[in-house]
Amino acid sequence: MSDILKLDKKRLDKFVAALLSEYRLFGPVEANGLTRFAEVESADALKLDSNTDESAKGIFFPQVETILTYENGKTETPSGPDKPIAVLGIRPCDARSLLMLDKVFGTGKYNDSCWTRRYENALIISVGCNTPRAGCFCNWLDLGPFSKQGSDIALTDIGDALLVESCSEKGRGFLESSDEIPFRKPTDDDLSKAAGVREHAESSMEDKVDISSIKAVLDKSWDSSLWDELAGKCLSCAVCAYLCPTCHCFDIQDEKMPGTSRGRRIRIWDTCMAPQFTKEASGHNPRPTGKKRIRQRVMHKFNYFVDVFGEIACVGCGRCVRSCPVNLDIRYVIKRFMDAG
Amino acid sequence: MADVEQVLRETVRKLLQEQKVCRVIGYARGSSALRSTPVFIEDEKDADSLVFDITCGNNLTQYLKKCGKAGDGRVGIVAKGCDGRAVVQYIAEGQVKREGILIIGIPCEGVLDHRKACDKTQGREVSEYRIEGEKVVLKGKDFEVSLDKFDVLSDSCRRCRYPSPPVHDVFITEPKEAASQEPECKEFDEFEKLDASERWAFFENEFSKCIRCYACRNACPMCYCEECFVDQSNPQWFGKSTDLSDTMIFHIVRVLHTAGRCVDCGACERACPLGINLGLLNKKVEKEIQERFGYTSGLDPDETPAMAAFDEEDKQEFIL
Repeated sequence: MSDILKLDKKRLDKFVAALLSEYRLFGPVEANGLTRFAEVESADALKLDSNTDESAKGIFFPQVETILTYENGKTETPSGPDKPIAVLGIRPCDARSLLMLDKVFGTGKYNDSCWTRRYENALIISVGCNTPRAGCFCNWLDLGPFSKQGSDIALTDIGDALLVESCSEKGRGFLESSDEIPFRKPTDDDLSKAAGVREHAESSMEDKVDISSIKAVLDKSWDSSLWDELAGKCLSCAVCAYLCPTCHCFDIQDEKMPGTSRGRRIRIWDTCMAPQFTKEASGHNPRPTGKKRIRQRVMHKFNYFVDVFGEIACVGCGRCVRSCPVNLDIRYVIKRFMDAG
Repeated sequence: MADVEQVLRETVRKLLQEQKVCRVIGYARGSSALRSTPVFIEDEKDADSLVFDITCGNNLTQYLKKCGKAGDGRVGIVAKGCDGRAVVQYIAEGQVKREGILIIGIPCEGVLDHRKACDKTQGREVSEYRIEGEKVVLKGKDFEVSLDKFDVLSDSCRRCRYPSPPVHDVFITEPKEAASQEPECKEFDEFEKLDASERWAFFENEFSKCIRCYACRNACPMCYCEECFVDQSNPQWFGKSTDLSDTMIFHIVRVLHTAGRCVDCGACERACPLGINLGLLNKKVEKEIQERFGYTSGLDPDETPAMAAFDEEDKQEFIL
């Protein structure tokens, strides 16, 4: 308990100032009818009371990223960020997703320099979900609205103040070295408020469904007729994949400025839901049908990723549930396979 | 809507029993009270899963091309006014044969814009809803809110003139007459008052949100090209990034390609996960087509579509 500090919300500016002295700071910002992550320069810009419409993955794995530029046959690679990145106000689901992406891009078999140079020294400050939204199902994935996996510092909103807890050496180091932040010691009343907030959030979620056997079920489901049924209504758009905090497939494109010898090579998000995803130069497409594409997406998350990295590539953030235009709800998909399997 | 649903289920059951259709495209209850999901019924026993209410927003017409296999028999489709207009447009454009489709008309009072409802409930789970006159009451675990129905209706429904399909084979209860003129739409009137640079700025702002997920295109019944221009890779015509110039060119070409074909069903706007206002651009183009060529899409299957016809009297002062 001694690790927990209290910060009045009206002094959040001091916290932000301390972060800005060491980091480039990203946080949820409301603009244009949306809440999205953006770089911020003051505490006023932050919107901490609701989850973002888009996930946080774009901070570390941007939708479009220039990986080299060229002119007259000479290439140049962009330099890394001058300061490390801090994210303030990420939700526990998104914080956890970054650990998964790091397994793919950072600590696994391959080291993706574009990812590593942003994520390696990043400070992740999450805020618990006081009000989980419709469609949220992090509790199915061994997470909860106040999970701390992937966070260096975890915040709990108790009304006029935030409780601040370090969850890693990095987080502890930052808090201990930031004398100018006017932290206070939380009272017993503050701690019981926090417990109440947590309990309310957890009980407001729909019941947990045990999906621990989904990998084994899918091992036997390659030829299931359910794939046809799902593909029947799926629009093959990229809403699910692009809003997903763990989907990480990409394409590489070379773009030359017409009439010049200048151009750029960009890495852009891609999605297995698109027919072009696997189209080969010969014109052959090994996944030509919607059935094969939706099977790939479900299998990648709930089967192949488990095989390779030992965990399900889903954090239950619910964005795909809320935004699928035809209500192809991943919770329903998983339940259907479990029931059949 | 309970009566409408009863009649719908009974009608579909009978159509399948009598083998007048081989399958019916309709709506079933989705995973929450405010969502429906497309369903394809082949067995009369499944007819009871059909629903029809304010949550039935998908335009089902796009499934016609997927669902109709040669020699299978007629395909039935549950059609609101806008779905029906899209079917008519399909027939006019030679995409489906009139005799292959059985249009099950259903009276529509507008559909919900899920995002608007979500905003009003701070994103909390709605477990049930009811309509009370002009109000929609949304109820969840520890809340109940009463909203003006108009405030949560899809924008395209607010300005809709055609609540019932212009052509149908059977009708669930009674068709509603088309309104003699379009309902007043303040948002559109104000948009039209903007000058060209202000309109451009408006769309720049909207399209800056685009993540190129193509949900708008894929939810649109009129975007039925086998391969979309943005997906062509040999040659590749357009950039794939989310730079504003790339996203704008996609949306501009798409709206030009659906000019005189769009039925203003709003499926694109409802499908957008980031709430981009696509309807005003569609509506503006639809109005231009009406004024220049006297053509309204999706009303008459025998009329040649505006972009497929040429008349020496056509206005052409815009050609440079």
